[in-house]
Amino acid sequence: MGDSSGNEVYGLARKLGGAGRRAALSWQIARALFRLGFAAAMAIFAGEMIEEGTLSVPALLGAIIGLAFSSCAGMFADLGAARAETGVVNGLRTALQGALSRMPPTQSRLRPAGALIAGLQRHPEALSSLVISHAAARSMLGLGPLLAAAAVALVSWHAALTLLLAIPVMIIFFALLGTAVRSRAEMQERAFGRLAAQFADRIRTLPTILANHALGREHGKIERRMTAYADSTMGVLKVAFLNAGVIDFFSALAIALLAVFLGLGHLGLVQVPGFSRLELWQSLFILVIAADFFTPFRRYAEQYHLKAEGEAAAQQLQWYFDDSNAASTLDGKNGAEVFSATGVDKFDAAKLPAAGLIAISGPSGAGKSTLLRLLAGIEPPSSEVAALPQVTTGGCAWIATDIYVPAGSLAGAVAWNRNAVDRAAIRRAAESVGLLDEMLLPGGLDAPIAEGGTNLSGGQRMRIGIARALLAGGIVFADEPTAKLDPMTAKLVRQALVEIALERLVIVATHDDRLIEAADQHHVLHLRNRIDKAVAA
Amino acid sequence: MNIAANSAPIATPQPIPGPRHGKAPWRLAILFAMAAAASGILLTGVSVWFLAAVALAGLGPAALAFNFHTPAAFVRLFALSRTACKYGERVIGHRAALLDQVRRRAGLFAAMANAPTTRAASWQLGNQDRLSDYMEDVEDVDYARLRVGMPTLVLTGAMAALSLATAWLALPALIPIAALSILLIMTLRRAMPRASARWAAARSSQRAAARLLGAALAAVIPLKAERAFANVLASTFARFDDAAAALLAQRRHLAAVDMLVGIVGPAAALSVLAAAWHAGSRGEALLVPAFLAFAWLTFGETAIGVSRIVIGRVRERAARQGLKSWTAAAGVDMAASPAFAVLHTLALTNVPRQTPDGRRLGEAASRTFEAGNPTALVGASGAGKTTLLKQIAGWIGTDHDGRFAADGIMLLAARRRAMSHLSLHDAAILSDTIRENLFAPDASDAQCWEALTAVELDRRVEAAGGLDAWINQDMLSLGEAQRLNLARALLSRAPLVLLDEPVEHLDTEQGARILDRVFRRLADQIVIYSSHNQQAAPQGMQVAL
Repeated sequence: MGDSSGNEVYGLARKLGGAGRRAALSWQIARALFRLGFAAAMAIFAGEMIEEGTLSVPALLGAIIGLAFSSCAGMFADLGAARAETGVVNGLRTALQGALSRMPPTQSRLRPAGALIAGLQRHPEALSSLVISHAAARSMLGLGPLLAAAAVALVSWHAALTLLLAIPVMIIFFALLGTAVRSRAEMQERAFGRLAAQFADRIRTLPTILANHALGREHGKIERRMTAYADSTMGVLKVAFLNAGVIDFFSALAIALLAVFLGLGHLGLVQVPGFSRLELWQSLFILVIAADFFTPFRRYAEQYHLKAEGEAAAQQLQWYFDDSNAASTLDGKNGAEVFSATGVDKFDAAKLPAAGLIAISGPSGAGKSTLLRLLAGIEPPSSEVAALPQVTTGGCAWIATDIYVPAGSLAGAVAWNRNAVDRAAIRRAAESVGLLDEMLLPGGLDAPIAEGGTNLSGGQRMRIGIARALLAGGIVFADEPTAKLDPMTAKLVRQALVEIALERLVIVATHDDRLIEAADQHHVLHLRNRIDKAVAA
Repeated sequence: MNIAANSAPIATPQPIPGPRHGKAPWRLAILFAMAAAASGILLTGVSVWFLAAVALAGLGPAALAFNFHTPAAFVRLFALSRTACKYGERVIGHRAALLDQVRRRAGLFAAMANAPTTRAASWQLGNQDRLSDYMEDVEDVDYARLRVGMPTLVLTGAMAALSLATAWLALPALIPIAALSILLIMTLRRAMPRASARWAAARSSQRAAARLLGAALAAVIPLKAERAFANVLASTFARFDDAAAALLAQRRHLAAVDMLVGIVGPAAALSVLAAAWHAGSRGEALLVPAFLAFAWLTFGETAIGVSRIVIGRVRERAARQGLKSWTAAAGVDMAASPAFAVLHTLALTNVPRQTPDGRRLGEAASRTFEAGNPTALVGASGAGKTTLLKQIAGWIGTDHDGRFAADGIMLLAARRRAMSHLSLHDAAILSDTIRENLFAPDASDAQCWEALTAVELDRRVEAAGGLDAWINQDMLSLGEAQRLNLARALLSRAPLVLLDEPVEHLDTEQGARILDRVFRRLADQIVIYSSHNQQAAPQGMQVAL
C-alpha cells in the first residue's frame, strides 16, 4: 500500500473495517457467481431457442433466479459496504475524539482550528472509502476476472486463455501510462501547482481584496489563472484517460475477436481449437462473460481517486496520534521553554496557601500562561512545575476571555458545567459581577446568548467566567483578567477576584499593576527562566 | 452643506471582464457519449446476431456462401468506435466542465464580492472549515452537468431507442419493461426527497458539529482546566455521528434504486426473446430479436451506478441553494476603482455607534478628523471601534445613519468606500507574489521596497526571494502578516486611511516605531486607527469610545 502501510491510522481503519470489508467482498463474490449463472442460463435460453427451436423453461427459470439472486447480492454488497464504511468512520472519530481530548492545548493549537475541523469532517470518510470500497474493488480485481475465466474454461479453455492473455498486455500498457501520467502530473504540479486553489484562496481573502480596491484586478487574474490551470489539467487528463481507454479497448477487442473466431468456427471454415464445433449457447456464453471479464478493471479504475484521497487522509490523521510532538511542545519551538532548566528558584506548589491572591507577572513570552497551565495540570508536567494536587482533588475554575460559552440564555451560560445550581444562586453570582444591570445585555438572566457567544464583549465573557467561579470550582486561575477591559469593568473584576481570594486560592497571570498591588503574593517571571519571589505581603 | 454625493467625479464602474472563451463543447461531448453508448450496444447486438446467423448457416449448405466479412467488419468498427467515443466523451466532457467551471467561478467571485455580507461582520469563509464546506458546494455545482446531466441524457436516450425498437419488434415485451420502469420511477420519486432530506440533515449536523468544535477548540484551555473538554467533545462528536447516520440512511434509500436499475436490462432481454417466441418467431426470424435482447443486456451494464447520478443531483440542488445564500441580494455596486482626491477634513455628525450585530451602543459619534493628524479610536473590547471604522469606510450601516462630510461635501457610503483604504485587523495574505500582495500595481520597485523597509519586512522579503517570491498565509507569522498589511496602507493613495488595531501582534516598541513611520508617510491623508491601549496615542488625538 505504499506510504500508508506503515501508517497507524491506516492500520486502525483496516482493523475497524475488517469484518465489514470481508462481508461486502463476500456479497460481491456471490453477486459475480450468480451473475455467471444468469449469463449461462440466458445463453442457453437464447441459444437453444434459436438453434434448436425449443423453449427451455429450466434455462428461463435459471436466468430469472440468477438475475434475482445477483441483484439481491449486489444490493447486500452495497449495503454492507455502506454500513462498514460508516462503522469505520464512527470508529475513527471515536479514536480521534479520544486523541483530541488527551492532546495538550499547546499541540492542538499548532494547527488552525478551521483546518482541524475540516479534517475531522472529511478525512475519516475518505479513509473509510479507501479501506472498504477501494479495498473490495482491489480484491475483485484479482478474483473477478479469474472467476469469469474459470466459467469460460468450462466451455472452452482456449477462449479462457485468450482472455487471460489480455491481462499481462494490459499491465504493460498500465505501467507505461502510469509513468507518463505521473511525469505529466509532476510537471503540472511544478508549473501550475500554485494556481491549483486560487479560487478558494481569493474567496478566503475576499474582504481584504475589497478593502484594497483590487476586485477588478483579482477577478481578471483568477480567471486567467483558472484557465491556465484548467488547460494544464486537461494535459494530464488526456493521458490519464488513456488508462480507462486501454480497458475499454481490450474489452471491445476481446468481444470483437471472440465473435469473429467463434463465427468462423460455426461456419466450419476455420478449424481453431476451442472455437470450433461449439453450440450457439456456448458461443453466446463466452461473449457475455468476455464483457464481464473486464468489468472489475473498469470499477477499479473508476475508484482510482479514492486511493489518493484516502492515503492523503490517513497521512493527515496520523498527526492526532503522534505522541512525539506532544512531548516536544514545551521545547524551544514555541518559545515556551521556561521551567526545564536547572537551578531555577522553585515555584513551590507545596507552600501555596489555602486561600489568597497570587499574582504572576513578567514580560510577554516569559511563560506566565504556561505556568498557569502547568499548575492546572493541562500540559505534560515539566521537571520544575507539577500540577497542583488541589486541582485534582477539588477542581478549579478558569477565568479568561476565551472561556466556553454555550448558546442559550445568560443563566445557562453562568450555570454551565456547574452542578445543579438554583436560579437564586445564579442571579446572585451574575448580579455581583454586574452582568444583570447592563444596557448591553438586555433581558437579565434570560438574555439570549448567540452560538459561540458572539454577542458578548470580552468584558462580559470575563464576568461570566467570574460568576461561574463564584458558583463552584476550587482553585481559581485567571489569565490576564483585566487586559482589554474598560476601567470600570477592570475595577469590578479586580474586586471580585480579591473577594474570592478571601476564601479560596486565586492565581492570576497579569500585567495590571493595581491587581498586583491587591495580591497577597507576587512572583515575577523573567525571560531567562527565573521565578523571583518579589513581594510577599 | 450641499448634498452632492455626485458632484465629485464618481468612480466609473469598471466592467468585470466577461468570459473570454466560447461556449463549452457540451454538444460535442454529448454526441460522443451517445455514440459511445450506441457503439457498445451495437457491438454486442451485431456480435450476437452474427453468431446466431452463422450458427444457423453452419448447420446447412449455406455455410460456404455466407458473407461473414461485412458483419465481422461491423463488429470491428463498433469495437473501435466504442473505445474512441468513450475516450472522446471523457476528454471533451471534462474540457467542457472545466471551461464552465472557470466561467462560473469567475462569476461567483464577482457576485460574492458584491453581496453585502462580504463587508459586514467577520468573514466566515476565512475559516478553513467553512471554506471547505463552501468549496464542496461549488464543486457539486461545477461537475453536475458532467456527472448528472450528461449520463442522464444518454441513459434516457438509450432507453427510449431500445423501447422503440422493442415496441416495433416484440411489443408484449414492453409490458414487463414498462412495469419495471414504473416501479423504478416510483422508487426514485420516493427515494429522491428522502435522499435530499438525509443529505440536508447530514450537512446541518456536520455544520453544527463544526460550530461546536470551533467553540470548544477556541476555549480549549479553560475547558481543559475545568476538566470539561472531554464532555464538550463528546457532545460535538455526537453530531458527527448523526451526520454519519444520515449519510448511511441516504445510501440505504438508494441501494434499492441501484438494484432495480440493474434488473431492467437483463429482464428486458429475457422478455424480448420470450415475446418473440410467443409471437411464433423461429430460427432466422429470431435473429433480430436476439440482437435486441443482447442490446438490452448491454444497456443494463451501462446503467449500473444510477445512484451516483441521483446523489449528484441531490447534492447539486442543495449546493445551488447553499451558494445562493452567499450571493443573494447582490447589489449593483461593481468594483469601483478608487477615485482619489485630496481631502483635508472628515466630519462625522451623529453617527450611531453599534455592535457588529447591529445593536446600538452608547451615544452617537460626532467628530472631525483632519489630514496630518492621525487620530486613535480608543476603547475597551466591545466598544464598537471596528464597527465605527467600517461605518466610516462605508462598509456597514445605511446612508441614513448619521452624516459624513468631507471638506463640507456630504459623502454617501459608496463614495466613502471608493475613497478609503480599510486595513482590517484580520487582513489576509493572498497566495500570490509579495508584489501582488501589496495591492499597489502602480508602485515602482523602489516604492515597494521602501514600504517593506518601513514595516521592517525588507530582510524577510529578501530572504524569501524578493518582490516576486510567492507567499501564502501559512508562511508568515501573525506579526509579519500584520506588518505586510501596514505596508499596504503605506502604499495606499486613498485620502482616507482606516487602520483597525494596526499594532496588534507586534511588540510595543516595534509597533510604535512602525506606526510612527506610517503616520509620517501618510501625512497628507486622513488617518483614523483603533487601539485598545489608551497610552498608544497622545491625549488630543484620541476619541474615547
